[in-house]
Amino acid sequence: MRQLKDGIFSLNGRELALLAACTLAIIVFSVASPYFGTPGNAATILRNSVELLLVGLGMTLLLAMGGIDVSVGIVMGLAAICVGRALEANTDPVLTALVGPIIGALLGLVTAAVVVLGRIPAIVGTLGLLGIYRTAIFILLGGQWLSGLPTGLTVLLGTSLLGVPIAAFVIVLAYIAVWVALRRTPFGLHLLAIGNSEEKARLSGIPVAKVRFATFIISGALAGLAATFYVASYRNVEMTIGSTLALDAIAAVVLGGTSILGGKCSLVGTVLGVLLLRILQNGLLLMGVPSLWQPVVTGGLLIGVLSVEVLSARLPMSPLGWARR
Amino acid sequence: MNAPFLIAKGITKRFGALTALSEVDLEIRSGEVLALLGDNGAGKSTFIKVLAGAHSPSDGELLIDGVPVAFSSPKDAASAGIATIFQELALSENLTISENVFLGRELKRSVLGVPFLRRKEMKERVAGLLKELEAHISDPQAPVGSLSGGQRQAVAICRALNLNAKLVIMDEPTAALAVAETRKVLSLTRRLAERGCAVVLISHNMADVFEVADRIIVFRRGRKVAEKMRSDTNPEEIVSYITGAHPDVRALEKTN
Repeated sequence: MRQLKDGIFSLNGRELALLAACTLAIIVFSVASPYFGTPGNAATILRNSVELLLVGLGMTLLLAMGGIDVSVGIVMGLAAICVGRALEANTDPVLTALVGPIIGALLGLVTAAVVVLGRIPAIVGTLGLLGIYRTAIFILLGGQWLSGLPTGLTVLLGTSLLGVPIAAFVIVLAYIAVWVALRRTPFGLHLLAIGNSEEKARLSGIPVAKVRFATFIISGALAGLAATFYVASYRNVEMTIGSTLALDAIAAVVLGGTSILGGKCSLVGTVLGVLLLRILQNGLLLMGVPSLWQPVVTGGLLIGVLSVEVLSARLPMSPLGWARR
Repeated sequence: MNAPFLIAKGITKRFGALTALSEVDLEIRSGEVLALLGDNGAGKSTFIKVLAGAHSPSDGELLIDGVPVAFSSPKDAASAGIATIFQELALSENLTISENVFLGRELKRSVLGVPFLRRKEMKERVAGLLKELEAHISDPQAPVGSLSGGQRQAVAICRALNLNAKLVIMDEPTAALAVAETRKVLSLTRRLAERGCAVVLISHNMADVFEVADRIIVFRRGRKVAEKMRSDTNPEEIVSYITGAHPDVRALEKTN
């Protein structure tokens, strides 16, 4: 049954459980490592959550619509290269900040064209794009990292308004914008109806193709915004940029209670899922677990959560795999 | 009796060599429940798909309020005031009742170019419709997934009413319902007609048909073989038309 309270920050059982899991993880890691429970480390965790949170918001919309995009990480990478090049060319900082979302939205448009116009299942279409984009990153970087980029975007992170960094404002605004679109506009209703059943949505007179295009473009723009933040804080773009981001995003969103089959989602859950994932990754690293193991933890969590959902009959399962009710 | 809302003249539908409908003439009147009966493959479904704009006829014409119309899509039919309630209800189980009733035609207000839903108005309008239909659903904010089959039919009927449908086509509305639920849906069907809607009901259930229909039309092998006022006929006679045992049908099928 759907959560009927839909306030902008209201919590349901799943979200309270996540909150408890985050708290528990914080307590365990604080005991296990003297470096974990410091203000500096908390800031690091929040800092490391920014890109994942933005990409996760887009992924929440995609999954709620019954879609998916496994190429988001690489889309962020491509956008990051463009942001980096703009920085190198000493473009105006405001324009540079906009390069990310614009490139991301354009790539989202390409994804939509492939998946919607080509009538290809989203997971397969975006997997194909993932392969193409990965090579594109290779070619664009010419085998060399972008590193030591100019500090043109540091204002984005450094400037404060009323004592709160501009970056925090941008993230809160992105969250509110996605929440409003999902819960307060016809677009959100249409998206959820498509996630429930594309055929029924069509019979109800919903412009299905238009909504699917819009969702892929929004998700792309959010990945592009993530690229702006990425370049602003690391000032380099490496060859492997974003390679585990799609996995992290899907895991965080599914942890948060969004249905992998579509039709049901939680934005608060996504925020908590992102935080839990980043806390676990950070805590394990501080306990001396090599970062090589991070995708194992993420992948294991994703499979674990889905298995529990299948066993508790929240998700129906057919002998052939996923089935619709 | 008032002028017919819709007149079908010589409606024929061929799929390649197969003639699914042959020269069907009939009239549908406002405020009347018209039952379409017939065996599987008799042409009922093809006929309502023509009415609903899902098929275009190979021959013949449809007149609405005396004006010829040609539907190229279900959307055209919907804007002409024809709503179809499919056997597989096109409701989104994950959305609330009021969201479903307005889905695709939401009330909205524009704030800085962003179309915001007018949720309160939609809720009130749906609460009013549910009350008017005596649907006994108290909360228009309940998710449709939590409703029973009969309550879902009521939501689909609300949706049709909300679109100001003048003709509501109901395809086997009681097929999957328990007895008490069936009674409820049948009384909803009557209430639709009393509100001035024309209702076309497709059913296999003779008892349902004789309870709500004003007029009964029987299809057999793509033709209209009988048209009776309910008061002038009885279930046995209708069954003999459906199976082809009636002398009139035999005579008709011999001549062709």
